[in-house]
Amino acid sequence: MRNRRIEEHPVLGSLRNRKAVSFTFDGKTCEGREGDTIASALLAHGIRQLRVHEESGRPRGIYCNIGHCFECRVTVDGKAGVRACMTEIREGMAVESGKVLPSPLNSSVFEADEMPRTYAEFAGKQKGDNKKEAPDA
Amino acid sequence: MRDVVIIGAGPAGLSAAIACREWDLSVLIIDEFPKPGGRLLGQLHQEPDGEWWNGIKEAGKLLNHATELGADIRCGVSAHHIEKADNGFKVHTDAGVFDAEQLLIATGAAESAAPIPGWTLPGVMSIGAAQVMTNVHRVRVGERGIVVGVNVLSAAIARELDLAGTELHSMVLPAKNPVTKHYGDPGEVMDGLARIAHMAPSRILRFGSILARAGWVRRLAVRLYPKRGVKVWGIPVHIRKAALKINGRDRVESVTVCNIDPAGKPIEGSERTIPVDFVCIAGGLYPLAELAAVAGCPFRYIEELGGHVPVHNERMETPIDGLYVAGNITGIESAKVAAAQGRLAGLSIVRHRAKDKAGLGQRIDEAMRHVTAIREQATIQFHPEVDKGRSKMENIFKEYRKAT
Amino acid sequence: MIICRCEEVTLEDIRDTFHTYKCSAREVKLRTRAGMGYCGGRTCRPAVDAVLEEVTGEKPGDDLPLKVQPPVRPVSLSVLGGDGDHA
Repeated sequence: MRNRRIEEHPVLGSLRNRKAVSFTFDGKTCEGREGDTIASALLAHGIRQLRVHEESGRPRGIYCNIGHCFECRVTVDGKAGVRACMTEIREGMAVESGKVLPSPLNSSVFEADEMPRTYAEFAGKQKGDNKKEAPDA
Repeated sequence: MRDVVIIGAGPAGLSAAIACREWDLSVLIIDEFPKPGGRLLGQLHQEPDGEWWNGIKEAGKLLNHATELGADIRCGVSAHHIEKADNGFKVHTDAGVFDAEQLLIATGAAESAAPIPGWTLPGVMSIGAAQVMTNVHRVRVGERGIVVGVNVLSAAIARELDLAGTELHSMVLPAKNPVTKHYGDPGEVMDGLARIAHMAPSRILRFGSILARAGWVRRLAVRLYPKRGVKVWGIPVHIRKAALKINGRDRVESVTVCNIDPAGKPIEGSERTIPVDFVCIAGGLYPLAELAAVAGCPFRYIEELGGHVPVHNERMETPIDGLYVAGNITGIESAKVAAAQGRLAGLSIVRHRAKDKAGLGQRIDEAMRHVTAIREQATIQFHPEVDKGRSKMENIFKEYRKAT
Repeated sequence: MIICRCEEVTLEDIRDTFHTYKCSAREVKLRTRAGMGYCGGRTCRPAVDAVLEEVTGEKPGDDLPLKVQPPVRPVSLSVLGGDGDHA
């Protein structure tokens, strides 16, 4: 693949040797430049997909690139919901892509109409159906 | 407790900070982007005299000035709520709560979406995303792409992508749907193009721009628009072609484009699949005002200013005592207008604090005239009737004051 | 076609919901969750409003059409709980 770095720019000039910074994405080591965001460092490697939609599993990458849309959220050193476009890479940083999450309230699993709509309904169901005390609030 | 907290380190926020520091107010600026400068970063255009205007350099100048004067600037800090307190504001952020006697919200704009089927695929991004990736991070967004949405902003950024060596196949309209009924209408888009015609000489555009006030001329220009498009800075711009959908499995692989009639209706059988690996969506900008909303500021919908705008007067004051707005949150205009508004907001903040220090009133008047002058000098307008929008807001503020 | 990316709400979902429940723009949003996902509606708000205007005939009002509620960014409970220092 062609180098995606814009090393020379007719107006903005040359990218002077910015220091290399290495980090991992889903366990694989990647190298970026000092000042790169996670999103820009990954795109420089041709990596566009940063997560999948938590329910449908459809692939997603950056959309707005300035922190508004949260489409690029990844897990960084164990912290979830971090925007790849707003976070600069650091040496040794461990980045994990977003995965599909269980959707227990999906109406294909439960009939939406049968779900309790209030806490009182929920507590009533617990008592009536399961003969269990509602937990003390 | 600080004298002033400023949310947003763009041209408006930094200019306001400079004015406040000149009068010795304690200032904290926060911004959620890792680098200061806001959307100045990445802007690159040629002035009428041929000189390049480089937003990164402009941001650097403002930043140096603000830093020299001792403004406290913290990046990577994200505000999520504002509470009005007895003697000021509490700004809730992911780095703690900051107390401020006065608050300036200068959060700029966000991009409106122009959805077309397939727009969630990796490789589809907003036009602004491509600008930042190219000019700030210096990474090419792909090998070959297409821009969906033809307007002042997307034309300017398309030129920047070209300048950085990124190949653009063309610029086309989004297929018409309930969201894109304006961006997908060849006549409305022709109006917009006519406004940048002086920057991108082309016969048909000039023809459109000189006479576009007459509806029949515009309709004629739309009807006669060349099939191969009009080259603007070397990029084929089509207003009689629309993107129907973006195709691909895990990433963008192609775009299906068709011809459209002068009303924007797809012409059956004209579909073509263009292989690309990225797509930029350009749906225009709207004021990003959510923090002003949670702070309790009233809003009005003003189309000429880009959408819902916090009520404010020409001194950048809102009806909430101590709360100010400046920059694109007040209406979509250029970074130069934003900087002028920022300075004005800063002076208004100083006056609130220092009451009638000698000369302040005069300086505020000068700053107000400066905003108007910069607006008049602008080579392109995001909305042709921005002046009308500004005077609407001025009246709304007066009425609001009378009513409360 | 997806309108709200966060919740994957399509144009058809919005139309169907309106026609099934004959309800207000607000209720369509509550039922479909359009504009109510992770991003807080920043990406799709103008788009959702445009669709709802066409479907329900309601014009954008003076108030922000989707009432903005804090927090306007997703925050962890530790941040909301005041774990962070009073800076």
